[in-house]
Formats: sequence, C-alpha cells, structure tokens
Amino acid sequence: MPQHKLNRSFLLLTLAFGVFLAGSYALIYVLKPTSDTHPSANRISLESPPGGDFTLTSPNGEVSLSDFKGKLVLIYFGYTFCPDICPTNLGNLSVAYRQISQSQRDNLVILFISVDPERDSPQRLQQYADYFDSNIIGLTSTPEVIAEVARRYGAVYERVDDGSENYAVDHSAFTYVVDQNGVLREQLPHTHGPEQFLDVINRYLN
Amino acid sequence: MNTTLNKTLRLTGLALAGLMSFSVQANQAKQLQVDNPFVREMPPVAPATAAFMTLINAGDQPIAVVRADSDAAKTVELHTHIDDNGVMRMREIPEISVPAIGQTELKPGGLHVMLIGPTRALTEGDIVDIKLIMQDGSEKMIQAPVRKIMGMGMNRPAGSGQGMMHKHH
Repeated sequence: MPQHKLNRSFLLLTLAFGVFLAGSYALIYVLKPTSDTHPSANRISLESPPGGDFTLTSPNGEVSLSDFKGKLVLIYFGYTFCPDICPTNLGNLSVAYRQISQSQRDNLVILFISVDPERDSPQRLQQYADYFDSNIIGLTSTPEVIAEVARRYGAVYERVDDGSENYAVDHSAFTYVVDQNGVLREQLPHTHGPEQFLDVINRYLN
Repeated sequence: MNTTLNKTLRLTGLALAGLMSFSVQANQAKQLQVDNPFVREMPPVAPATAAFMTLINAGDQPIAVVRADSDAAKTVELHTHIDDNGVMRMREIPEISVPAIGQTELKPGGLHVMLIGPTRALTEGDIVDIKLIMQDGSEKMIQAPVRKIMGMGMNRPAGSGQGMMHKHH
C-alpha cells in the first residue's frame, strides 16, 4: 500500500466519526480494481468492525439481525457462482451443524449474505443455502445496502471483471460470530474446519 | 519457389511425424499418475464446480498441464487461489506444473480444474471424464467421480484408497 494511502487512511481514522464513515463508504466505490493488485485487502484491517443491525431480503420477505436476539448468529458473505471457497466454508459449517444438539440448533442461526446481488436473487441464494441442510438463511439486497453491511462487518469483496458472465467475485472468507445480544464478537478465518466451528458454537451455546 | 516450398513442407511434415512417434515413447502424459481425482457435488443452482486430484510425476523431468477438457462442462479452466490477507482471489493460470519425482496437489482453497457451465447435473455417483493436456501435447484421460463433500479440505475423503494423510493442515 503506497505511503500516501496509508497517510490518508490514518487521517481518515483520526477524523470525526461521521467523516470516517463517509470516507470508508467512498473508498469502497473509489477503489475500484483496475488490475490484479487490489487495495481492497487492506480494508480488512479495520481494527474492530462495529457490526450492528441490518435488514436484508430473503425469499420470504425482509429479515433483520435483530429478529434473532437471544440466538447465536454466524454470518458468512459469499455468492452462488463461487466454485470452491464458499462451498468449503458452508460445508464445514454444515458438518459442525450435524454434530450439535437440537437445543443448540434451536438457538443458532446461519446467514449467507450475497456479495453478488446483481446475479444472486433471493430464491437462487436460498436454493444454494438449502443444499447444506443446516437451516442457512440466504440474504441479499441492493448493491448499496450490501456494501454498507459488509463494511460494518469488515467483509471486503470485489468483482473481477473479465468480460464474461462467469466473472468471479474476490471476497474475504470470514465467518462472523454475533452473540445473543447482537454484538459482533469474532471473525473466524476460512481455514476453520468443522471442529473449530463446533468449539465456537459450544463456547456460546452451552 | 514452389518446389522449395513443397520440399520444406515435406521436411517439416517428416520432422513432425518423427517427433510425434518419439513423444509416444516418452511423453509427459505417460509420466503422470493421477491419484484420487474427484469432482465436488454442488447445489443444483451453482453454475460452476471444481475437480481436485493429486498429480504425481514419476519422471525426472518436470511436467506441465496446460489445459483441461471435459464434456461435462461448457468451459474448463485451470485455476488457483491466492489468499490475500483473508481475501480469497481465484485466478485462471496458464499451467499447473508437477516437479520431477514429485507431486502437485489440487485441493479446495488452492489449485483446481474449474468446470464452468455444467452440461448435465453433476450429482454424487456420476463419473466425469476429464482430459488433461500436457505442454508437449500429450493427453491423459481421467475419470473423476462426483462426490458430496461436506467439510473437505481437512483430510482426504473416505475411500481414497492410496496415498498418505497430509500433515500440512
């Protein structure tokens, strides 16, 4: 990352909170990738993403994070055209899901939020999520709303425009852990396997 | 002029034929062993899936797979993933090389053969024919069963027969 950008980020961080919000929001749009060297990865180190409530669209209407107060919520940002990373992650989550008790299942919600709202309709997303048989809820919205929610959770994504319909979307592959009070507590890396997901679930739901 | 051209063409043809017969005796495809190939079953709406396998090179020369083909998908590409500070970037690559007396693993989160636009529903139990094309033009056909794989990447799927557990996870 060039020095001037670092300075700029530092300045942004030290400015008033409102300005900072506007700045990051602008960054997502300003830093459109032009080549293979993306600045996006640096945006992931937003020290502690605030998280917070959101309202997105499922095939059965609007769904808010606050609907799940009292439950543990695991959030994964991905997309249905994702050939490997997303199915691996959701597959690992589903293996963990198969090993928890019914009462833990009753108190756990897994959300799959699309970072490809242009191609992922709510129906398509839900069909994809259903494959993993873990009561995963697929959620999407307008590109603007998705960008705003992703930013608050520290998730970054970027469309790789190769001119084809099958374009990929580079995305951070973290699973976000939101506790029973709606507070974002942890982000789990892509390398987490079923056992590690299981440990996390057991830590919050014992 | 014409005769010169004809002569050149004939010579080129002969040279090519000679090369081809030579390459049949010792080509890259013959040196390559493919262990545990499989294709991941995907949700029915998914427009792409991936094939994984271990490429083993018993020869003393490196091998490069430069292309793959399959009748099970409209487009077949060689891909890798780059983990860029937690951002997974998938990129098409020109070749997958296998070192001399060595192996290269195609596995989730890393190298894979990407099958884009399946021509049929690829479900567990189906067998996908994949042709690997080497740098020297030699070809190897493999049959990769479709597997329902949940939580893979931690160890080899059941029933993979040979090979050792990988310790690098």
